[in-house]
Amino acid sequence: MIQLQDIEKVYRTKTIETVALNRVNLLVERGEFVSIMGPSGCGKSTLLNIMGLLDEPTSGYVAIDGKPVKTHSDRQLAKLRNEKIGFVFQSYHLIHDLSVVDNVELPLLYRPVSAGERRKSALEALEKVGLSTRTKHFPSQLSGGQRQRVAIARALAGNPEIILADEPTGNLDSVMGNEIMDILLRLNQEEGTTIVMVTHDEHMALKTNRLIRFFDGQQVADSMVIEAQI
Amino acid sequence: MIRHLFKLIWNRKKSNFLLISEIFFSFLVLFGVLSFALYNYHNYRQPLGFTHDNVWQVWINPNTDSTAQNLAVQEQLLQRVRSFPEVAHASLASSNTPFSFNTMNGDLTYEKGKEVETHNFEVQDEFKDVLGLQLSQGRWFGPQDNSSLHPAIVINQKLKGDLFGSEDPLGKKVSANDSTHYTVIGVVNHFRPASEYAAEEGAFFGRINLSKDNKYVWTGLLIKVKPGTGVAFEEKMVKEISAIAKGWSIEVTTLEKMRQSKAKMTLVPLVAMAVVCGFLVFNVALGLFGVLWYNINKRTSEIGLRRAMGATTRQIRTQFVGEVLVMATFGLLLGLLLAVQFPLLQVFQLSPAIYWQGIGTAAVLIFLLVALCALYPSQQASRIQPAVALHEE
Repeated sequence: MIQLQDIEKVYRTKTIETVALNRVNLLVERGEFVSIMGPSGCGKSTLLNIMGLLDEPTSGYVAIDGKPVKTHSDRQLAKLRNEKIGFVFQSYHLIHDLSVVDNVELPLLYRPVSAGERRKSALEALEKVGLSTRTKHFPSQLSGGQRQRVAIARALAGNPEIILADEPTGNLDSVMGNEIMDILLRLNQEEGTTIVMVTHDEHMALKTNRLIRFFDGQQVADSMVIEAQI
Repeated sequence: MIRHLFKLIWNRKKSNFLLISEIFFSFLVLFGVLSFALYNYHNYRQPLGFTHDNVWQVWINPNTDSTAQNLAVQEQLLQRVRSFPEVAHASLASSNTPFSFNTMNGDLTYEKGKEVETHNFEVQDEFKDVLGLQLSQGRWFGPQDNSSLHPAIVINQKLKGDLFGSEDPLGKKVSANDSTHYTVIGVVNHFRPASEYAAEEGAFFGRINLSKDNKYVWTGLLIKVKPGTGVAFEEKMVKEISAIAKGWSIEVTTLEKMRQSKAKMTLVPLVAMAVVCGFLVFNVALGLFGVLWYNINKRTSEIGLRRAMGATTRQIRTQFVGEVLVMATFGLLLGLLLAVQFPLLQVFQLSPAIYWQGIGTAAVLIFLLVALCALYPSQQASRIQPAVALHEE
């Protein structure tokens, strides 16, 4: 579903050249729940940004559903992000001046759907994350866990095939973190959504199907979690 | 998307309050200045009703108290002026000649108390030829009016409408404040002597008949000279009439100079207002630009989020320009609440059409201004890399 081949990402300034990703090869299959672990600054988020078409690799090949994206226009990339990918961020990235339901509707604003359909999809997504009673609230009126659930609902509203989650439990305590993880697991198991999650939490990572470890921009391990647990 | 923008701006109304207020005040100032400018432009396009080319104004003023002697001198002076081959026509007139700063007004009453305020011009028979007046009805003064029971008057089209409506005014009797009764003998198309920028007002011409009831020395003398007549003739004429009217003060100018001088009375304040307004609008534009720039920098992570959710660079650009236009709409709606009172209540007795045009033009200019100010910051916003933007909080 997502294919990365010989991916390199180098950040250059006038004086320093920093290699964020070095010859990364990765294939994420449909329906997988992949966790990516590694120390801070090892390139996990950069990798997720490249997978989510938010950033371009310095070199290498990226394909979604077998189709290379290198020659895609800004419009085609935006369409792919909008229809195929849902994002969940560590710091939620909710718009504070919009209500919960308006935040969840956001990806649908960039599709040709009516206001009524948008509202219906947003409410369904909020139902899935157990927040149907908080639709008119504003983000500032919610707890961290609730905000992250809104962010997940927003990712789900567009019915994407892939969810890319960048440390979704990073700002939450263990109880709320587990709640979020349960939602993600349910999405993967019941709806077959492909999920790639960056995490620092080994406990969370072990709940996924596959664990990939990164160190200094390189992929150092890639194993099925059952094997890892054994 | 438009509903989304309205919701976003409404929810951010506190932080957008200053910007909306700036737009509100700018709209009102623009509306005021534009209405004034449009009013003057509208008047400027109306016919004056007379021609002022080659028309000279001679101000004559006796310095002695002897009325009988002065009247005799006045008649001699007039005859001499008319005898110059360079002079096509000449007419004595009351001091409120076209483009002068003098006015003579009073009320005229028709039948059962229909009273209209009007300007009164006392002129000789040749006045029509001096200024090239065009009649739409009836006739101009002539010797047949020497023996009329009620003095004859010629009115302008505006006074005809105000006093008689659709009724035929010819032969109708009207009375002035001093109980003098007049008979209307003719109607001129237009007569707008105050200024090119002034609206037409009701006016009537009374007849100066030097052979009958000659009581006054008329200080205005208008002469139509033949084309090509210049300063040399002016010197010659002044010299000769000064010899007749010894000790009188005599000043000669042209209606063209008087027109220019009168036009300045309107144009100078208009230009001053336009400069002040332009300066204000420029400051507002700078303020808008600064605030937008600041707002967009503050919303970098939102821009990243929207890109991640599927917005194209164009949609980001459109969104920020759209937000500013929505803010402008809020400001304009507030301004409109005040501005529409002017045409509805006909404030300053201006035509409502002038106000509506002022409102429309001011609104279009405000929208253009804010869109221009929003373009560059929005362009910059759309160029922000989503991965970079998402890391900014």
